[in-house]
Amino acid sequence: MGRILLICRLALRDLRRRPGEAALLLLATTAATATLTIALALNGVTGQPFQSTRAATAGPDVVASLAWPGQSEDPADLAGLEALASAPGVAAHSGPYPYTQAVVEANGVTVRAWTQGRGAEAAAVDQPALVEGGWVADGGAVLEASFAQAIGVDAGDAITLGGRSFRVAGVAVTAAADPYPKVCLAPCWFGVGAESRAENGPPRTRPRPERGPPSGPPEEPSFWIGQGGLVWVTEADARGLATRPGSLAYVMNLKLTDPAAAPAFVRAHMPEAESMLFPVAWQDILYGHARVAEWKQTALLGGSWMLGLLALASIAVLVGGRMADQLRRVGLLKAVGGTPGLVAAVLLAQHLAVALVAAAAGLLAGRLVAPLLAEPGIGLIGRADPGPLTLPVAGLVTALALGVAGVATFLPAVRAARTSTVRALADLPRPPRRAGWLIAVSARLPVPLLLGLRWAARRPRRAVLGVAAIAVTVTGIVAALATDARRYAEKAPGDDPRTALGQVLSLVVVMLVAQAVVNAVCVIWAATLEARRSSALARALGATPGQISAGLSAAQVLPALGGALLGIAGGIGLAEILDDDPVAVPPLWQLLAVVLGCVVVIAGLTAVPARLNARRPAGEALRTEPA
Amino acid sequence: MPSESLSSLGPALRTHGLRMRYGQGTGLVNALDGVELEVARGETLAVMGPSGSGKSTLLHLLGGLERPSEGEVWLAGRRIDGLGEKALARLRRQAVGFVFQAFHLMDELTAEENVELPALLAGMSPRAARRRAGELLDRVGLAGRAGHLPSALSGGERQRVAVARALSNEPLVVLADEPTGNLDSAATADVLRLLDSLRETGQTLVIVTHDARVAAIADRLISMRDGSFVEETRLTRGGGRLSELAGLEG
Amino acid sequence: MPDEEPSSGYQLRVVQEVVLALLAKEASHGYQLRARLQLALGPLAEALNAGHVYVTLNRLERAGLVTSKRVGQTDRPDRKVYELTDPGRERVVEWLDDTSWPKPAPAEFHLKLVAAAAAGLSDPERLVDTQRHVVLAGLASAQRAALGEPAGSAAALLLEGVVLRLQADLHWLDACARYWTSRKEH
Repeated sequence: MGRILLICRLALRDLRRRPGEAALLLLATTAATATLTIALALNGVTGQPFQSTRAATAGPDVVASLAWPGQSEDPADLAGLEALASAPGVAAHSGPYPYTQAVVEANGVTVRAWTQGRGAEAAAVDQPALVEGGWVADGGAVLEASFAQAIGVDAGDAITLGGRSFRVAGVAVTAAADPYPKVCLAPCWFGVGAESRAENGPPRTRPRPERGPPSGPPEEPSFWIGQGGLVWVTEADARGLATRPGSLAYVMNLKLTDPAAAPAFVRAHMPEAESMLFPVAWQDILYGHARVAEWKQTALLGGSWMLGLLALASIAVLVGGRMADQLRRVGLLKAVGGTPGLVAAVLLAQHLAVALVAAAAGLLAGRLVAPLLAEPGIGLIGRADPGPLTLPVAGLVTALALGVAGVATFLPAVRAARTSTVRALADLPRPPRRAGWLIAVSARLPVPLLLGLRWAARRPRRAVLGVAAIAVTVTGIVAALATDARRYAEKAPGDDPRTALGQVLSLVVVMLVAQAVVNAVCVIWAATLEARRSSALARALGATPGQISAGLSAAQVLPALGGALLGIAGGIGLAEILDDDPVAVPPLWQLLAVVLGCVVVIAGLTAVPARLNARRPAGEALRTEPA
Repeated sequence: MPSESLSSLGPALRTHGLRMRYGQGTGLVNALDGVELEVARGETLAVMGPSGSGKSTLLHLLGGLERPSEGEVWLAGRRIDGLGEKALARLRRQAVGFVFQAFHLMDELTAEENVELPALLAGMSPRAARRRAGELLDRVGLAGRAGHLPSALSGGERQRVAVARALSNEPLVVLADEPTGNLDSAATADVLRLLDSLRETGQTLVIVTHDARVAAIADRLISMRDGSFVEETRLTRGGGRLSELAGLEG
Repeated sequence: MPDEEPSSGYQLRVVQEVVLALLAKEASHGYQLRARLQLALGPLAEALNAGHVYVTLNRLERAGLVTSKRVGQTDRPDRKVYELTDPGRERVVEWLDDTSWPKPAPAEFHLKLVAAAAAGLSDPERLVDTQRHVVLAGLASAQRAALGEPAGSAAALLLEGVVLRLQADLHWLDACARYWTSRKEH
């Protein structure tokens, strides 16, 4: 008991002696824990609004759509669709409703929309819930909410639909389609049906790529598969808009007795390969809605891992630097009878205490920020509450903080504890490493590079940590840029809701940069502390203060440059792994800006201590006896 | 080597009214209190005094490592107490070589690399610097240890490497701060023999020490106490009755 | 060969004992003995003039500690060869067993300072300074002589002893200076 008390007292006193360092540690760890909290809180965020939307709109369990019933001149197709209504397990249905594709023009935005014909009466399944205005009437269209938001129209506005003027009668939400711009009805296909056909289906006689122009008349495709919105009009208007042959299709909404069985139902009812009938389960539609949130979550989870790694690097550097600085103290502790275990325990206790505070601070900050990022998609109703702060979440976040602190502290603490007492008392720091080839190469370089390279090489572990930290940061930034670049490359007209990801990405980037700066400050602090004597010596031997400053900067900037280049490769690789779509390389100027930014920031951060160091008379650091 | 500003006439070093204070108020310490000093070219001067008497401060001021609170320092006919750090660094390169009590060798550099460092800092080509380092190590009797790291050298050998390093740029003055302070008796004798040979070649040498043995190789000996010179002795060669001192006479 | 005491120079006692001990192994000529001494003393042998050894040998012979006989040489005058007698041998053993140590200066100088201060005859600080000067000069010449010896010679060892001894004296004189300075201040 007394021993634990002693450890706590020593740890506390040590923390109080170095408030700046404790603050750096706290900051570094909190950034990681906060990000992890947010990422965990976003888990399943879209589920609730989707369920409430499903309830409010009598959402379908299966949406079956059929294209080109007219072109194939095969009434059996339409009969096949209608037959689904009486299939076993179907509790209710609505439709079939006719639909076509028409070009919407509004506010200078031109975009295709799947235009569905509906009756005036409420449907038993999938009756879109109005959030604005009234239901469809001749000449009056209702726009799906995320679509309306993206092209910026409200009830009462005028739009052009298929070249004809329409009034926006209202805006509604539905649980029967993905949000804009991912609306997909036959001949577009996705979900479990698409998978089962890809797995089991015989070779198709009519090749129809999953995403791409279908094989209609090549000069004028009746359906264009790609980004599009969803519009409801009257059945008469829908038929009127389907002017070209083969451009009229049908959709039917089914309610099953067992909603959970929807994927099985879809698999069971996939028709022949030639048929353009596609059933889709509600779970796949939920997935479409959830994707926006999922992207955010992936980005945040990735971000929190990176931040955790950075925190690890920062703490390792801080601890390493302190060891060099505090070896004498450790020696004293040992000389008065502290065991190596006690010494290690005091160090661990300090950092674990900071980690606990950081976990609490991170949980709190994460809780406060998460609702801002948890905005549901526009196409859904109901409030999205981020997952409550459950015990597992708190546990996981705390474990991250403690784990980072523990791992980063453990090795140096053990090493310090095992340092010979005599050596520690004599204040002999770990002898620097020697990299002979680097020393030989640096002899041929200008003085600042000569000094910088040698300083960097003296502490290869720290240099590696510095490189790793910058590499992780740049990886994050470049991955974000790459993801962003791809989002924008395929951005739908109007205000694509998927660009909401940009927000999260920029948050992650900001956190990463902040964390990297903290890390850089740690590295530079440790390096400057250690270089004090050798830089004073270099000055005594005739190096100018300018050369010393430049050398100290070079010692940090050169590894940073290496880290930045590694990070660019890593970032593009990470985007490739996280994104199932082909990756887009961010524009060259962005990459250059990232690398230059790193160099400038590191050089700037180094410049201050380096200049301070160079301004002080060199004699001080070389004294061996008091003045 | 540029030497536009270094006069080849007059004393190597001169100070006038040199004062150095640290701290403030009641904590004020007069590390140096009005020191007047002149060191002729080719002279070996020893400054002796107990620790805390201001010797190291004096040496740092002479080499431009610190700036005095008051007074003048002249090195090779040029006043240096008001020079900027950059100009001081340039001057140190060509005019001053330091030898420290704690050796201050770079631990990760071999003896040879340590010795060539000042030449590299002064812009000498790597090849010429390496050649010169070889010659200097030969001169201090360590030609066979050029590739050793300081950790593989004895204390005396380390200090001899440090002396070789101080000579790297053929400085006008070598300033040595307790050069034998960390050495045992045998190693002290080695380093003293080396310093004595420098004196014989006409190298201007200022040594601060508390060890009378080190001071004994000087031409002139100044005793310091509490920041001031208290006594000056000219040590003539061959003086004293050795046999009497050895207890053979009397 | 002059048979008189040297007015100043080597303590005869020391030279007597050394010469006796050097003869313990085998009979020797005077000049051989002198060469031996010169090697051991290095620069300190300067004051050892040629006559010194012979004067010593004559005394020892008179005291019955050595005997001599003339040995003829073909091309040169006869030389005397000295040999240890039994009493001489006893004396050598006694000398080697003797542990008395030459007394250093402190007591006398210390009393001098105390007396000077008590009588107000002279300033003890000045006495210390003067003495320091002298000791320092002695140390300097010994140190230089030591540096002049090749490393590892026997004479260098002797000189190191001289230097270390004087260094100790200087430390003590520093202590004296501190003591008498603080006395004056009170």
